[in-house]
Amino acid sequence: MKMRLLLLVFGLLFTGLLSGCAKKDKLADGTELIDKDTFVFSASGEFKPFSYVKNDDLSMTGFDIEVGNAIAKDLGLKPVQKRMKFKGIVEGIKTGRADAAVASHTINPLRAKHVLFSTPYYYSGPQIFTRPDSKIKTVDDLKGKEVAVAKGSTYADTAKKYTSNIKMYDSDITALKALSIGRHDAVITDFVTGKSAAKEGFKIKGQQLIERSEQAVVISKDNPQLLKRVNEALEHLRKNGTLSRISKKYFGEDITTKPE
Amino acid sequence: MPSFSHFFETLVSNKGLFIDAMLLTLKLTAVSILFGIIIGLFFALLKISRSKILSFISDAYVYLVRGTPLIVQIFILYFGISGIFLIPDFWAAALALAFHNGAYIAEIFRGTIQSIDKGQMEAGRSLGMSKGLAMRRIILPQAFRRALPPLGNQFIIGLKDSSLAAFISMNELFNVATTLGSNNFDEMTYLLIVAVYYLVLVALLTIIVRLFENRLAVSDR
Repeated sequence: MKMRLLLLVFGLLFTGLLSGCAKKDKLADGTELIDKDTFVFSASGEFKPFSYVKNDDLSMTGFDIEVGNAIAKDLGLKPVQKRMKFKGIVEGIKTGRADAAVASHTINPLRAKHVLFSTPYYYSGPQIFTRPDSKIKTVDDLKGKEVAVAKGSTYADTAKKYTSNIKMYDSDITALKALSIGRHDAVITDFVTGKSAAKEGFKIKGQQLIERSEQAVVISKDNPQLLKRVNEALEHLRKNGTLSRISKKYFGEDITTKPE
Repeated sequence: MPSFSHFFETLVSNKGLFIDAMLLTLKLTAVSILFGIIIGLFFALLKISRSKILSFISDAYVYLVRGTPLIVQIFILYFGISGIFLIPDFWAAALALAFHNGAYIAEIFRGTIQSIDKGQMEAGRSLGMSKGLAMRRIILPQAFRRALPPLGNQFIIGLKDSSLAAFISMNELFNVATTLGSNNFDEMTYLLIVAVYYLVLVALLTIIVRLFENRLAVSDR
């Protein structure tokens, strides 16, 4: 008797879950959105000054977030931000937990097999960071040294070219913090991140800029129509100066145009 | 280490955010414990049933859950089966935690049910009770009392395990602490704050379980 009752409860629970699930809305031109009136974009909120939370209500702000809002506005949609741990964002896009990611993802061929990238909305590059008294200046000095990077970032691949001793951290900020108290020899991270951490009082120093990278919006493979519309929106925002205005607000310079 | 005054100031100035986060942690824990108990009892009864198949199903469930890390289970529920249907964030976290707790609770219940003297069931049967009725009226009440201390232990583990929901975008205590910490370049202060919150919650949970124990111990006197 008891068993049958329990089975019934479970059955009801399961069907309840099934019916409560969201299906994507399809627009006339084939664009798929979680909700036809909103543009749900994700970022980590742990990547200052690109995305970080306001201390009063945990809503995100920053360069990436303002770009995401501007894209939504250009698409005529209401921007909805979704904060996810950085590692989970790409999987979230693939499985439809967000429409797009505006989270400083660097374009690379391996990632491009699994997701779609928009045109770059800013240009950056990894840089070596050390303590101020370090002897490490260029990539050649990294050989055999312990280098830390953030999990899920492309900088692990960059670091592998120069040393075999790599340490993974949950975020760039923890890696830089650990560097400043002497836990490893160097960190490879985005030059803007390192610069703003140094500005916040971390005892670190920027060394060689390793390479140039392009950052883009990430969209699911089965949503090419949305990619097309996001690219159009980015083109408008480049032409009317919105992107460069947001960039100057956060960095004092325009990082949204291709460096020569 | 942050200075005490800095720690205290941060604790007070962020209390609104942390209390919201604590409520979510409590909600996750309550739902996962409640469903965990139902699931656990269900599988414990399957395990002690005379049917080999039912007992095997229970073994398989316990093995799968105990054999994989909780964070893997959470990710599978959150990302893995969303191709079939999309479970809302909260329920993905709560159900993963419930299924996880359920396996351990099933083992607790099985152990305590089997620890009740055989004579108890036989006495019930000789009074003309059916097996199910004897189980319900005689065995389970005694078993539940014995299960309370290990259950309390499991509840505390469940409460702390809910911090893993941070990885699927739940704004519970741990997530709020790490996010604010990395935003303010001040992780240690926020981690210490969240440790205080967990300590308070665990103290409350301990007291509640003890009250239950005392209450059920009345028949011993």
